[in-house]
Amino acid sequence: MNFYSFVEGPLLWIAFLSFIIGSLLRAVLFFSVSRKTDKIIYQHFRWKYVLTTFGRWLLPVNKDVAKNPVFWPLAYLFHICLIVVPIWLSGHITLWEESRLEWSWTPIPDGLADWMTLIFLAIAIFFLLRRIFSADIRLLSTFSDYFILVITALPFMTGYFLTHGTLDSIGFFAENMQLIHMLSGELLLILIPFTKLSHFILFFFSRGATAVEFGRREYSV
Amino acid sequence: MAEEAKQMEVTKEINPHEIMDFLKPKIGARFKMWLNICAHCGLCANTCHYYNASGKDPKMIPAYKVRFIKEILRKKGKVDREYLQKVYDTVYHECNMCRRCTLYCPFGIDIALLISMLRGLLLSQGMAPEGLLRAVENYQEFGNQMAVSKEDWVETIEWCEEEMAEELVGLKIPIDKKGAKIMYTVNAREPKFYPQDIMEVAKIFHLAGEDWTVPSESGWDDTNLAMFCGDVKTARMIVENTFKRAEELEVEKVAVTE
Repeated sequence: MNFYSFVEGPLLWIAFLSFIIGSLLRAVLFFSVSRKTDKIIYQHFRWKYVLTTFGRWLLPVNKDVAKNPVFWPLAYLFHICLIVVPIWLSGHITLWEESRLEWSWTPIPDGLADWMTLIFLAIAIFFLLRRIFSADIRLLSTFSDYFILVITALPFMTGYFLTHGTLDSIGFFAENMQLIHMLSGELLLILIPFTKLSHFILFFFSRGATAVEFGRREYSV
Repeated sequence: MAEEAKQMEVTKEINPHEIMDFLKPKIGARFKMWLNICAHCGLCANTCHYYNASGKDPKMIPAYKVRFIKEILRKKGKVDREYLQKVYDTVYHECNMCRRCTLYCPFGIDIALLISMLRGLLLSQGMAPEGLLRAVENYQEFGNQMAVSKEDWVETIEWCEEEMAEELVGLKIPIDKKGAKIMYTVNAREPKFYPQDIMEVAKIFHLAGEDWTVPSESGWDDTNLAMFCGDVKTARMIVENTFKRAEELEVEKVAVTE
């Protein structure tokens, strides 16, 4: 087996399994530990608070949106592109159809995917510049903050290069862009459960826990 | 700003084991998650009145103020007094645990709880504002922050009753009345310095015809200064005293005036 077929086969499985099992472990770990250390969540648990908070923060109807009218639209757009493009890109769906799972679903138009990718990358650059040039955010930022932003943007950048042959004039990239794209995507999937990116699932636990604590005191959730 | 923290035992050596023993059971599932997922987005900055009032000093960003926890964990508790003094200045002078940042945090990270834990950690190493330390000692010994003994408390109430009865005939301040509707609690400064406050309240209850009582045993002080230095154990004892009295007296409600 050469390196290419390793990346295309076993490593892809490893990446998906790492992502799925790692994320599940995060959830299981939170539940099992919090039952002992954070009993307050369970003693006062109300779906009313939890569902309200999910609705308010997954949709732009929380009080933060009005306070930061530039940041929030970009943050929402960033996350929408991040989720929609990899899942509904026609090129990806074709691969699912060809795989042994033979799964298939309706793709978004390629033109839209292109735009979403560019918007995503532009916002990623904005976030990066904000981290570098805002004195506030720079002070807060650690290595991992920069690192995961780059890791998250990489699959989108390489994907765009791959579909448009942007860097094909450079021989190395012309030959290996598909490999680089797959590797960057796999790296992202592997890292998600073990970095701050785990917030894709822990968001729900964190918001839920605080909603229970704040809701019972009739604060805003 | 850098008022030196008053220390219980000035000569006390900092004990890294003690620090870790304090931190480990405290850092449960939520705290661990919060320390892990904070995206350092900085949206909490302009929600903080310390940040806004300091001319937007980046050091006042709530997410920045709790960096100490991760640092102390990384150093396995091996920090010096000077470092803890820095922590002290932040957690006592740059945050009053108002929780406003949490209202605006996309993840709902409860910074105030983390700050409170840091205050508790400092207390474990003998560092807390002198007034709070004294109050905590008083709570532990007398059940109230002003070291008012049971005799003094009951006498003060009886004296208030006598004084007011001259003005309002038949006025009573019922002590330990079983089955009363309301159990009234006060700030311990009232029997100590401001008994007239108790008299005024007695007047209102009397004219309103309320069925009320005050307990003679600890539980009548509704302040909880132990909470402010992260002393969860004493804070719990204070609240439990009030609950105990309410249950013994079989009252319907507890009036908390603080």
